[in-house]
Amino acid sequence: MQGFERELLTLLPRLRRFARALARDAADADDLTQVALERALKARDRWQPGTRLDAWTMKIMRNCWIDEVRSRTRRAQTFAPEEAGERVGADGHRDIERRAQMHDVDRAMNALPPEQREAIALVLVDGLAYREAADLLDIPIGTLTSRLTRGRQALAQRLEAA
Amino acid sequence: MAVDDERLMAFLDGELDEVARARVERALAGDPVLRDRLEVQRRLRERLAAWYGPVAGEEVPERFRRMLESRVVDLSSARARRAGPLWRNFAALAATLVLGLLIGRGLAPSSTVMLEDGAMVARGELARALETQLASAPPADAATRIGVTFARADGSLCRTFEAEALAGLACREDGGWRLVASAAGTGGAGGEYRQAGSGGALVLAAAQEMMAGDPLDADGERRARDSGWRNVAARD
Repeated sequence: MQGFERELLTLLPRLRRFARALARDAADADDLTQVALERALKARDRWQPGTRLDAWTMKIMRNCWIDEVRSRTRRAQTFAPEEAGERVGADGHRDIERRAQMHDVDRAMNALPPEQREAIALVLVDGLAYREAADLLDIPIGTLTSRLTRGRQALAQRLEAA
Repeated sequence: MAVDDERLMAFLDGELDEVARARVERALAGDPVLRDRLEVQRRLRERLAAWYGPVAGEEVPERFRRMLESRVVDLSSARARRAGPLWRNFAALAATLVLGLLIGRGLAPSSTVMLEDGAMVARGELARALETQLASAPPADAATRIGVTFARADGSLCRTFEAEALAGLACREDGGWRLVASAAGTGGAGGEYRQAGSGGALVLAAAQEMMAGDPLDADGERRARDSGWRNVAARD
C-alpha cells in the first residue's frame, strides 16, 4: 500500500464519523463512505502531496453527499433546496418506517437544511476550526457561523423538547 | 453586554480571542439566563459527541480496508501513523475547546489546566493524579479517575483521565503532562450527563487512535510510574 492509501486508511475512522453525521443512518453513512473513497482513489492525481489529505477527502465526501441529497430532492419533486433535509422522508413507505426507528439526534439532524447540517458535522462532530470549515465549504466565515448558529438553535429546540 | 447566540457558541467552540472571551465570561457571571443558554448549547454539543463520537472508535469495515489495501498490507505502520500531524491538529482544537468549556462551566480560571507555549498542560490536582495515581489502586478520595495508560508510537506514555469538569487524554512531554484531547467531564450540576458516555467517548476514541500496542497492565503501569514515566522503547 502506498502513502496515499495508507493515509486514507488512517483517516477512515474520522471519515466514517463525518459520514455518519451527514447521512441519514449508519447504513447510508457507510454507503457514502464507500462512494467518497472510490471518488478519492480515482482523483488521487489531483491531490497535492504536502497539503491536508483530511480536508481534501472530507470535501470529496461532502460533495458526494450533496449530490445524493440533490438527486433525492429531485426524486421527491421538490424545488426548494432549503427544505431538502425535511423532504428526505418523502421517498416512500420504506423511508417512513426507517425514520420511525431513528435516534433522536439523527432525526433532528435530518430535519436540518443540508447547509446547516454540514456546518455542524464539520465543526461540532469533526472538530474543525471555523476557518478550516469555511475554507472546506468555500464560504465566508460569517456565512458558516450563521449557519452553525441557526442549525444549533434548531437542534437544541428539537432535542430539548424530545 | 448583550451576548447573542452566535457569540455564545463561538465562546463554547473556543473561537473567541482573549478579550471577547473575557467579555462573555463577565456577562455570564452576572446573568443566570445567559448561563442557561450556554448550558443548553453545551448539552447539545455533548449529545452530538456522545452519539457520533464513538463511530471513530469502531473497527473499520473490511470492505473499506480491502479497497485501500490493494497492494502490500502494512498495518503496523498504518497504525504508527495515526499519531501523525493530522491528529495533533485535531487534538489542539479539542484542547482549545476545553478551555472554553472549563471557563464556561466554572466561570473561574481553571487551576488544573494551563496554557503554556500554545499547549494545554496539566497542573495542580490533575498533574498530581497523572503523575502518581495508579488506575489499579485509586485513592479512595480521588477527585480524578485515571483510565488507561498506554504508549504512543513514539514511545511516550499517555493516560486517560476523568474528573468532574473534564475528561481527557494527556501525554508525557518535556517532563509534564500535555493534554492532547479532552471533553467535558462526568459531572457538575445535575449529573444528567453521566449516562451520555460521560464525555469520555471521544477521549476513548482518541486513545484508541493513538495507541501503539496494548494498554499497560497494572504491573506495567506501576513500573512506568516508578521510572518517572520515561518513554518506552518505540514499538509498533
